Amino acid sequence: MVLTEVLILVLSFVVLLGIGVPIAWSIGLSGLFTLIVSIDAMPAFTTLAQRMATGLDSFTLLAIPFFILAGQLINKGGLAQRLIALAKNLMGSLPGGLAHVNIVAAMLFGAIAGSAVAAVSAIGSILGPKMEEEGYSKEFSAAVNITSGTTGLLIPPSNILIVYSLASGGVSIAALFIAGYLPGILTGLLLMIVAAFWAKKKNFPVGERATFSELFKSFINALPALLLLVIVIGGIIAGIFTATEASAIAVVYTLILGFMYRELTIKELPRVFLDSVNTTSIVMLLIATSIAMSWVMSFEEIPQTVTEAILGFSDNKIVILLMINVILLLVGTFMDMTPAVLIFTPIFLPIVMELGIDPVHFGIMMILNLSIGLCTPPVGTVLFVGVGVANTTIVKVIKPLMPLFIAMIVALMLITYFPQISLWLPELFGF
Amino acid sequence: MKTFNRYLEYFLVTLMAVMLISVCWQVITRYFLEASSSFTDELARYVLIWIGMLGAAYASGKNLHLAIDLFPSKLKGKSHDHLNIFINLLIIVFAVTTMILGGLWLVYITYSLGQVSAAMQIPLAYVYSILPISGLLIVIYKIRDIILLLRKANSDQPSSLPSS
Repeated sequence: MVLTEVLILVLSFVVLLGIGVPIAWSIGLSGLFTLIVSIDAMPAFTTLAQRMATGLDSFTLLAIPFFILAGQLINKGGLAQRLIALAKNLMGSLPGGLAHVNIVAAMLFGAIAGSAVAAVSAIGSILGPKMEEEGYSKEFSAAVNITSGTTGLLIPPSNILIVYSLASGGVSIAALFIAGYLPGILTGLLLMIVAAFWAKKKNFPVGERATFSELFKSFINALPALLLLVIVIGGIIAGIFTATEASAIAVVYTLILGFMYRELTIKELPRVFLDSVNTTSIVMLLIATSIAMSWVMSFEEIPQTVTEAILGFSDNKIVILLMINVILLLVGTFMDMTPAVLIFTPIFLPIVMELGIDPVHFGIMMILNLSIGLCTPPVGTVLFVGVGVANTTIVKVIKPLMPLFIAMIVALMLITYFPQISLWLPELFGF
Repeated sequence: MKTFNRYLEYFLVTLMAVMLISVCWQVITRYFLEASSSFTDELARYVLIWIGMLGAAYASGKNLHLAIDLFPSKLKGKSHDHLNIFINLLIIVFAVTTMILGGLWLVYITYSLGQVSAAMQIPLAYVYSILPISGLLIVIYKIRDIILLLRKANSDQPSSLPSS
């Protein structure tokens, strides 16, 4: 009974995706095919239409287009160069200096822009040529850039954590944001360790140590960008404004900054807005169809069935978390992050909550897990962008990516089995 | 079609600006006038539905929606075109059934029940009307793509045409 529906859902989705139907439509169509098996056609169409529209009707979701817009403005407004200069003066003198510069810049940039793709394309296009000039291999630079770009998904503000908050039925965004810091930094540090060993082995050059005045100057230059973080994250965590209000403030702030630096003109604004509309609507269609599909699944009682199956298999916390992680790693290789979060959170969250796992901790684990999928073929948006920016091929990048993947998996295991890494900061701030 | 796309772009950019201004206005009223306006909250949310749906149609016309092209890229020439026509047909199926038929029915129900929004008191039918409108646009864009693909299949000239 339920099995037929699960079969239709999974099979139609995999086939549609495989033949190249865009992901959002694959999700919508497979939800539609599953629903018309159990109810009449017209009510099925109407219910799905309603779920799509009401799915987008959320004040929380408004933060996503604004953070996207702020990210675009940061790219245009010359903030990326200032952040890279700061990272260079901080990290340049370590073995594999520029690789660390890349990782730290990605953490800073991702923290401000909240998008891994934006971080990878901005930093890759600026740092990539420099690294090649200094003798780093293109493939190694690309691999470092790709993996470090995902740290920004955990370090707030992060659009995907907002999506998780929505999918989980209202886990506090402030708590998720503050919980993301340590896991994001931990992942960055592990990537740096791998990069340092690799660079030592390959004898990549070491930069000169920056003088204090150079460091201070680059810090002052980057200060307006860093101040944005303080206002946005500080404001959200202190409860002064909501994530949505903070995102609108971030847009206004980056607009003013762009005009002040004279890197942005009024004439360019419609173009920047239209680019953001494009990115936004691609994400929104994914969200709308994913919410519709998620509704179909709960209507067919699929989550309950999966819960029973998994809990029937084992009730050991460690085993179940391992199982969920393996499933999500597989899902992440062929599914984009936003639909994966919207579809799998309602399935897995009840299971882990039954086992006494904090939903904030689970969210961080899930995002880090799916981040790995963003860097792997066949579907890896961050991988595609990173390889494109570096002018190399996926096949060539795989080898230097391997040790970095291992670092990410180690980070995932640490974050899965030591909940305190995620929960210590939120508890400290009283969430 | 080109002029229409132009207008659509202007409209989408305006919607984005309206959304930004209403949330900013909300922040201002809440902190400086100490009286939160409830209609900006609602306006911004409804504009987001419009941007999401109308923008999805626009992005569909430009073939911007993410797809996995691992299998399609292995096909060459005619079979590749045929697959793309099939994919476009599938998208039309979803647009016609869910967005146009389902959307129209949803508009009809909310209209005949007289459902209005809490703050602005506008009929919800207006908000939901963007579903059939966007659905229709998607159908038009996809039929255009199919016609282009068919024309290409009939002539032997190799040229780069939109794929899904």
